[in-house]
Amino acid sequence: MRPTTVLRLALAGTRTDGLRVALTAFSALLATLAILAALTVIAIPELPYPDAPGQFRHNEHYANPLLDEPGLRFGTALTLLLLTIPVIALAAQCTRLGAPARDRRLAGFRLAGATPGQATLIAVAETGLAVLLGAAAGTGVYFGLRVPLDRTDASGLRALPTDVLPPTPAIAGVIAALPLVAALAAALLMRRVAIGPLGVVRTARRKRGPLPWPGVLIVLGLISFSSLVPVIRWFTERESEPPLWLLNLLGIGGAVIAMLGVVLGTGWISHASGRILHRFERFPSALLAARRLTNDPWHGARTFAALLACVIVGGGAAMMRGYFEIQRELELRSMENDAPRYAYEGDNFYLESMNLVDLAIVAAVVIAAGGLLVAVSESIVSRRRAYAALVASGVPRGVLARSVLWQALAPTVPSVLLALAVGTQLLWSFTGTEVSNYGLSAPFTVPWDTIASYGVLAVAAVAASVGISLLFLRGSTAVEELRAT
Amino acid sequence: MTILRARGVVKSYGPTPALRGVTIDVAEGEILAVTGPSGCGKSTLLHCLAGILRPDAGEVSYGEHRLDTWSERMRARLRRTEFGVLFQFGQLVTELTAAENVALPLLLAGTGRREARTAAVGWLDRLGVADLADTRPGEMSGGQQQRCAVARALVTEPRVLFADEPTGALDSRTSEQLLGELVRVARDQRTTVLLVTHDVQVAAYADREVALRDGAVDASGLGLTAVQGRHGR
Repeated sequence: MRPTTVLRLALAGTRTDGLRVALTAFSALLATLAILAALTVIAIPELPYPDAPGQFRHNEHYANPLLDEPGLRFGTALTLLLLTIPVIALAAQCTRLGAPARDRRLAGFRLAGATPGQATLIAVAETGLAVLLGAAAGTGVYFGLRVPLDRTDASGLRALPTDVLPPTPAIAGVIAALPLVAALAAALLMRRVAIGPLGVVRTARRKRGPLPWPGVLIVLGLISFSSLVPVIRWFTERESEPPLWLLNLLGIGGAVIAMLGVVLGTGWISHASGRILHRFERFPSALLAARRLTNDPWHGARTFAALLACVIVGGGAAMMRGYFEIQRELELRSMENDAPRYAYEGDNFYLESMNLVDLAIVAAVVIAAGGLLVAVSESIVSRRRAYAALVASGVPRGVLARSVLWQALAPTVPSVLLALAVGTQLLWSFTGTEVSNYGLSAPFTVPWDTIASYGVLAVAAVAASVGISLLFLRGSTAVEELRAT
Repeated sequence: MTILRARGVVKSYGPTPALRGVTIDVAEGEILAVTGPSGCGKSTLLHCLAGILRPDAGEVSYGEHRLDTWSERMRARLRRTEFGVLFQFGQLVTELTAAENVALPLLLAGTGRREARTAAVGWLDRLGVADLADTRPGEMSGGQQQRCAVARALVTEPRVLFADEPTGALDSRTSEQLLGELVRVARDQRTTVLLVTHDVQVAAYADREVALRDGAVDASGLGLTAVQGRHGR
């Protein structure tokens, strides 16, 4: 099959297919912007001290210390890269939009003589092409925004690093790699799908529910991260420094493993929530939700996982904020002791940086909630005939709406609690039970209110997504759905 | 005694008229086939009589009640308690087992879980698919799914069963078996059945036939069964 034919067939379809391509491209645009922003931060030149090789001084070109301080730049870039997680989850969810119509189209290609490989290639090409368009548009937006955003304040400092550019191969790499990764992911997702002339068949998953083995990952991750402080202390007592690779392995590796455990554990949590709900259900809506959860615990797990990743980071951020607040208290107390006549508000730098982290987390939660909205809406639309038949038989729409709400919220609450527990536990090992600053010390108190606010934010985001997606319920239960063949 | 009545029912989908003043009576306990070519308004008439759609003009009555003046909420309650509805396919909830699907209307009516399941399994047994009680629709054949759908439509012991092309997706042998069971159970229960079909074999199971043409009752009286006769009684 000629490449032009693949492209033509990949882009054939209805308005829903067009919407899917547009949303996938938009997700790729956001991801490209986040990655290019991270690369730009990394591209800010390091300024070494002439008399202290290996150490770097402040850049002093930018108004924001997150960009100025060499030690903080890596964290800023990492936070920007973390923003791509919910964006990628959103893209993955978008691929399910209008899936029944696409399945029929792919089956039509097979009926017309396409081989299974060719049909898969067409499906994969659609995703790859949409992401390529999005990546190219994202790069265009990135370059387009550089000019209007390149401003200096009265002190001659820039708000953003608009004076530096990532290396050209890196930019080209992003544009090339994103579509390739997306196409690869799409091909991987289709490994359970058999496209036949009479329709698309998804290989049944094993009947047994997911096992709780991700719990082992969570424990391993927590142990790894918790050992960071004792390891540093061990080296310090021997008047040496721990190797950087060891710190990265224990710290970043531990955090990633724990996060992976929570994300992979969502399937088990959904399944277990479904079983519990089924055992104790008293209403038809709960029965419907329970059966759906046990039947397909992984439905929507991709976007749900992104939301949980945000909650884990939020839990950790809340602990860090609590830690910095106590440090500032100690600093203020120390200043009062030394020079009570001077009004001093303390060093707010770290707390202000935490405000930016909070902002990034809220943005990520909103994006993840967008993905969830797509997932729930798609689930409603794909069940429209069964829903229409139920409503025609006299089942109130309220019962169906409540079943969707149960299905979303039943696994959300325990998963969010677990994610918060992991996030706080990770950082608790770092903060310890006592905070010291300026020769003073105070017990570390866990900021439960801030931690709880992240939990409430996540649950509210899920509830809002479900609430908005329920707008599709009325249309999906219309009697016209029963007439379509 | 007339249980369902339509008087001059008019219904359009946008500019396209589906029913142009249909008048029919359905007697209690009778099995009535509504026949006609594709697009003649059969399903729309069934939807109006079942209270799924509200007609643009005309009257629809169930016993003494004017359904066309009722709110959607009241009509939904009526469908849940007094009517059973059966479609061609796609009506079972794929995630629920056969027993849970059949028990669903009872659960909605407030029946206890065990009681609902017992009744559901009883109905599955009457339709010869009790062994599939814990099986999901995706693991059943089309005929088995329709038997479960019949059980679900009848589990509340409705006074009227509306069946819209109930065997449209089945082969002829399975269709005959299903219709035979449907008619037998309906007669046992004294359930009124309104059967919409374009298939002469299906229409032949009815006591009486009303033929539609271009959204109106065909006055010629030459329905599908007028030529080929009836069976199944």
